Amino acid sequence: MKLKIKNPLDPVINFVDDKLKKFDPIWMAENGVGGQRTRYYDQTGIAKYREWRGVKDTMQAYVCWLKNLGMMGLMVGRAPTNFLKAFWEYRWMGSYLATFAFLDRLFEGYRGYELKVACMNSNTIVHCITDMMVNIIGNDRRLGGGKNTNKVIGLDEAVPALFIGGFPTLTPIPLQTLPEFVICDIDQHMEPFYIDVAESFGLPADVCSRCSAETGVTLDDAFPIVGLGAISSNTPCNASESTSMFQRRRFEDMGLAYHPFMNAMQHNTPEGHDYTLAEMKNAIKFVEDTYGVKWDMDAMLKVAEESNKQLEYEHIKWDYFKTPYSPLGGIAETLYKLVEFALGNAMNPYFSKNDKKVVKIMEYCYVNKIKPYKGKTRHRAFLWGPSAVYYCDFPTWTQNCWGLAIILNMDSTMGNVFIDTSDPERAMYDIARIEEKGIMRHHAVGGWDNVNAVWDWAKQFNCDMVICNDNVACKGMNGIHSMLEEEANAHGFRFLFLPQDLEDHRTISRQDMRNTINNYMSVVLNEEPLDPTLVEFDDSLAW
Amino acid sequence: MKDLKHLIYFENLLQEANNELVQKAIADGDKALGYNCYYLPEVLLNLPGSFSSRLRAPNCTSPDVATYYMTNRNCPYVRSILERAIEGGYNYLNALFGVEACSTMERMEEHFELLHPVENHPFVTHIIDAPIKGDSTNLDYYKVELKEILNCLKDLGIDTSEAAMKKAIEDHNEISAIMQEISDMRKADNPVITGYEFHVIQLVSQVCPHKYIKPYLQETLEELRKRAPEKEFPFRVRVVLYGSEVDDPEFTKLIETCGAMVVADRYCFGMFPSRETIEIKAGETAFDAIARHYLETNLCARFMDPAKIDQRHDFLENLAKEFNADGIIIQNMKFCEFWSYEKVLASHIMINELNIPSCTIEKEYAIGSVGQLRTRFQAFVESLEIKKINS
Amino acid sequence: MKTAFKVAKTLTGLGLLAFLGTFSIFMFNLENKMIYYVIRPLLNKHYDTQTRDRKI
Repeated sequence: MKLKIKNPLDPVINFVDDKLKKFDPIWMAENGVGGQRTRYYDQTGIAKYREWRGVKDTMQAYVCWLKNLGMMGLMVGRAPTNFLKAFWEYRWMGSYLATFAFLDRLFEGYRGYELKVACMNSNTIVHCITDMMVNIIGNDRRLGGGKNTNKVIGLDEAVPALFIGGFPTLTPIPLQTLPEFVICDIDQHMEPFYIDVAESFGLPADVCSRCSAETGVTLDDAFPIVGLGAISSNTPCNASESTSMFQRRRFEDMGLAYHPFMNAMQHNTPEGHDYTLAEMKNAIKFVEDTYGVKWDMDAMLKVAEESNKQLEYEHIKWDYFKTPYSPLGGIAETLYKLVEFALGNAMNPYFSKNDKKVVKIMEYCYVNKIKPYKGKTRHRAFLWGPSAVYYCDFPTWTQNCWGLAIILNMDSTMGNVFIDTSDPERAMYDIARIEEKGIMRHHAVGGWDNVNAVWDWAKQFNCDMVICNDNVACKGMNGIHSMLEEEANAHGFRFLFLPQDLEDHRTISRQDMRNTINNYMSVVLNEEPLDPTLVEFDDSLAW
Repeated sequence: MKDLKHLIYFENLLQEANNELVQKAIADGDKALGYNCYYLPEVLLNLPGSFSSRLRAPNCTSPDVATYYMTNRNCPYVRSILERAIEGGYNYLNALFGVEACSTMERMEEHFELLHPVENHPFVTHIIDAPIKGDSTNLDYYKVELKEILNCLKDLGIDTSEAAMKKAIEDHNEISAIMQEISDMRKADNPVITGYEFHVIQLVSQVCPHKYIKPYLQETLEELRKRAPEKEFPFRVRVVLYGSEVDDPEFTKLIETCGAMVVADRYCFGMFPSRETIEIKAGETAFDAIARHYLETNLCARFMDPAKIDQRHDFLENLAKEFNADGIIIQNMKFCEFWSYEKVLASHIMINELNIPSCTIEKEYAIGSVGQLRTRFQAFVESLEIKKINS
Repeated sequence: MKTAFKVAKTLTGLGLLAFLGTFSIFMFNLENKMIYYVIRPLLNKHYDTQTRDRKI
């Protein structure tokens, strides 16, 4: 594959790059005259100007921004009245305006091929989310509805909607994703509002903040009203089960039929798979009854094939992740996988089209031994446990500040099941297994062996370090705290817990999280930061 | 009222898990089978040649080693059980049958496999998954999981035949009949039993081998039948205690010293549910009946289907009516995810939809902050009294 | 030919202007500054005055 074309403008570009290099934060850090944080206003996280990455990379980032802008413009254009009303109606909607700043944060310090791949993935993510937003906002009865209002089916955000592929006339939407899950990535100040709403009704502060926020959205009547029915779930864990009790009341109030779809908690056993399959069939029956549509196995198998295709690409990517030459990694990988799995559900072929291009670039980098991040990676870490979503750009920060590359994230391993499409019943069984191994569930739930699998993953991906996200309110993961530490010693990994509170930065701030890494890197490993401006800074008022 | 003959004996039996009756049964050659949760049918652990031992960790006030393993951000009941296990307090057990009723409990039970704290032979641990709905799909899954328990029992040399199960059901129904009659005595305007006394009796029925505790319970029942109540009802109000795990009768005593008699106990380790009669319906095997009974009567806060959610609130409402309660105290163990949520929902339904006064509190496993709790209970009692006066 | 040249010139001019405009917005982070310092505070004021059907 030939990606490099000799550009006649190269001498000019090189000249400009040389003249403007003093504005490049990486050059500034290398030369001790500043770094990434130099261009930010204090506390707000608002940059005075965008990152100068050299002519080519800046243009790459500009085009990416322009594409995202275009997609967002198109999104609003598809249902302009509803979108305007949505900004007026929903507090969380205002936070989506922070999307551009969010995307900037994610790929700070990226250059060359890692930037190219990150831009491609970011465009795909925006494409998928804007599509989803049109389906939700454009059909929200609260805002006047839309032509597909009755053809949308709401699912709990953590339920893989793959099985809805058997209803080609219906569009699955994750109910809590817009008001809660995605928005928490974008704006750290949004979910504390809903957490406070839930706590004002007496919910203790020690429950999982994700579910607390979901409860707050429910109590504040902040869900869009779409479809005829809603499917809740025990995925991933106990708190999800509990918050469903409140959602059921609100959904019924909103005129939606309600059905809880259970997944086996102990999801490594054949009995557990059978149970989940039976539950999935009950959920399918619920959809048939509620929407008056028939299950279409052929349509399901087509979606299953697309799911397999995406997983094949995933495995190819994994092979490259094992090398030091992968231009894809960190949040560009994690967020993409999350959106692909949880929101795309193999029903959006855009992902595999993008994957095809991405793996070509990965192959090129591998063949030509091109190391990402200018070869400044010092450590390779596997990030285990559910991540703090209010600090989505954490992997970017670890790389830029300490040369600590997050190779893969626990949730990137979810849904790692090929569907046998040769036999419909076997296909359903495999789909049920994917349902069980969803977000925050594949390894965090279902027994110690699932958690303890981290060492194999880390070894497989040639990591020298494991960072375990320590969600202070996650009862299940807290329950095996010291066993993990003891196993880390036994397996000879550098290991640290990273305390965080999933969606509530007031408990543990981004700087607190950074300090955990700072202390480990400077005190335990005795290393110097790559960019000293990133070690300690105030982003408490940032989105 | 005259003191109950066996009350002090019962209190002493509750001082440690490995009490004298447990030791007696082990000396007989019976297998000691530990469990934590109602999801695990007690009756299956009382097949001939075995006895159930619902695990408590009396007087465990600082579970330091368990906190090292599970952090201080987890349920204190669970940590206390693990602590007691590490201390060697359960070395009499031949099995721990766990349930993934909540992830914290499951993690604690896993530590029995990982740390091997129980020094006994044989000792097995098995954890089942638990259904979260009450429909037939979930009943089928429950049966499949319970059969795994039967397999473990067989491996321990315990008879799991139909006849053995029928015998166990019979035994369960006998002890339940005694407990039901004692429990119903709390419905009287001026009961012959206090909430504290009932709590002690209920606990011993769960932590001691049935064959040895049953005669004492029978004798206590006879005594209660003849017992004269106080001249006047000695409490200011009557309350139902609702919520998560309570295995310390001192907690009930604390409420009662504030003037509120606990007339009904709807919590883990409480009467409701635990001592309902198991009926074998036509066409059912004993095992089927057990599985159905425990799923039907289970009122855990983790159930997600509307029918089960409504069942537990309807049950609570009926309990308050049946036992003529003036109010409900809704409690949750600190860090209990399920009951933290249920506390909010149940108090809303009771207060705002059913007009039943309720008070919510959060508690530790070992009663520590008595002062704060006492203030809350006293205030609640006063509010109930004022309500009574006004009506 | 002349018209085509004119159209091409106009289009190039417009394109250049569009590029300069959008690139300036991009490079000086103008949209984020506008959203952070102007739009969000106004929206938040509105959200704070909303009456919602807040209930269990």
